[in-house]
Amino acid sequence: MPKVRRSKKPPPEGWELIEPTLDELEQKMREAETESHEGKRKQESLWPIFKIHHQKSRYIYDLFYRRKAISRELYEYCLNENIADKNLIAKWKKQGYENLCCLRCIQTRDTNFGTNCICRVPKGKLEEGRIVECVHCGCRGCSG
Amino acid sequence: MAMSKTTNTYNRQNWEDSDFPILCQTCLGDNPYIRMTKEKYGKECKICSRPFTVFRWCPGARMRFKKTEICQTCSKLKNVCQTCLLDLEYGLPIQVRDSALKMKDDLPKSDVNKEYYIQNMERELARSDSGSGINSKVGEPNDLLMRLARTAPYYKRNRPHVCSFWVKGECRRGEECPYRHEKPTDPDDPLADQNIKDRYYGINDPVADKLLKRAAAMPALPPPEDKTITTLYIGNLGSLTEQDIRDHFYQYGEIRSISLVPKQQCAFVQYTTRAAAENAAEKTFNKLILGGRRLTIKWGRSQGRQGPSIGNSSADIFEPVPGLPGALPELSNNFFNLEPGHIPLPNMPPPPSLMVPPMFGPPPMPPFFFTPPQASAFATPGASSTAINSTAASTVTGESAIKPSVHYPSQDPSRLGATQLLADRQE
Repeated sequence: MPKVRRSKKPPPEGWELIEPTLDELEQKMREAETESHEGKRKQESLWPIFKIHHQKSRYIYDLFYRRKAISRELYEYCLNENIADKNLIAKWKKQGYENLCCLRCIQTRDTNFGTNCICRVPKGKLEEGRIVECVHCGCRGCSG
Repeated sequence: MAMSKTTNTYNRQNWEDSDFPILCQTCLGDNPYIRMTKEKYGKECKICSRPFTVFRWCPGARMRFKKTEICQTCSKLKNVCQTCLLDLEYGLPIQVRDSALKMKDDLPKSDVNKEYYIQNMERELARSDSGSGINSKVGEPNDLLMRLARTAPYYKRNRPHVCSFWVKGECRRGEECPYRHEKPTDPDDPLADQNIKDRYYGINDPVADKLLKRAAAMPALPPPEDKTITTLYIGNLGSLTEQDIRDHFYQYGEIRSISLVPKQQCAFVQYTTRAAAENAAEKTFNKLILGGRRLTIKWGRSQGRQGPSIGNSSADIFEPVPGLPGALPELSNNFFNLEPGHIPLPNMPPPPSLMVPPMFGPPPMPPFFFTPPQASAFATPGASSTAINSTAASTVTGESAIKPSVHYPSQDPSRLGATQLLADRQE
């Protein structure tokens, strides 16, 4: 079943070019949603969701802001249809947050001491050379 | 048992509230900057099962997060850290500290009895207010405990637990796994089964048992078998003077003499009583530090002798002076239940050299002089008994006994004090 369209209007031109990729990503998302939880930690089973969500938004952001391959109309159509996350893209426009993994990792209200997630620490500052997988989205470091 | 926070607060075990945890230095970790979360009524106390304020913090990089396990009331009762349940001053298990300090602390352990006790103690503590309650257990620093205690903090306690997946070979996390990828402790090891209640009440704690065994095996100074030795050899003196030694050792008992041997950097301290010497040895052996150095304490042999030895030979044995009444022998038939040292001396006849039997009348003979069968053991038995029997013979025997051995000058009849008559008689 194709994705439900909230607006009655048909999508603007250029849609056909991006549609196959978006379809693929949506397919991946559905698979991630239906995966079994065996052998994974509780949080670990949610990580693919965040990853694919990030990928989708990234695709559209890239197309518009970097490659300028789609029109503003189409871009905004995607945002309105919630194909891409507009809040996440808003963060990507800020300096230092260009590679932000997800919105949970900068939410200070979620942490005990009002800080960001460990994945937001630049690798240079994170002495010991240890690998981190943040608990929210499994990110291994989204800054620096 | 209070079911909820507000029900029945009168005369019941209330939920505990506190502002700051009671923790030891090792639990807090090496970093002076700590962020700690506080959760009111976060968990039940492991001992008294009351909800209490749980504090949680990270004791350093690569450490597991620690949290308070027992409530403040329970920890104040035993003067221990809230997390590790070790003593706050020495860092030793409760069982070790109590046995060294000879403290018997009988907390009730079961059900309602325990709750009642804790509830009362909490009220006491709240009323009396910190300071005094905790200090009452401190006293002066106990020496044994100080020696058993660690000198540096033992951060291995704060390490994360062993990764059970890795033990099975199934750890997917690999490098980023926060748990230890090490061999777990041997389950046969007696230290493996520890129980928080046992550790708290001081019963059946394997760590404490191990420490106590180590304490018993520490070097000790046994008193020498010869009971008359009251001298202690003190080595490693350095520049200490006799006065310094006297100033310190007088507290254990009356000092008979002190002799310094500066060449050997040692001294001999002799006490008047054996008990004082033993007391001094116990208090100073391996413990005394004077002038910045630890003194070696051993039992001495005799005053002035070089070298320590657990010797049993007493001072130079002198020959008994001839012509004098000897020491009383052990009475084999102790008719009067007399202690050997306390027998009143009989009115011994004057030494034979001065004895002029017929002239001065028979020497006063107390009746029991005849009764002891050991009369022969006396120094002048022959003289005295024969004096009774035959006066003439006695003089001869008496003379032959003493004539050759004049030990003291005053025994020589030709010296001052002897009458000319006697001198004539003897010669």
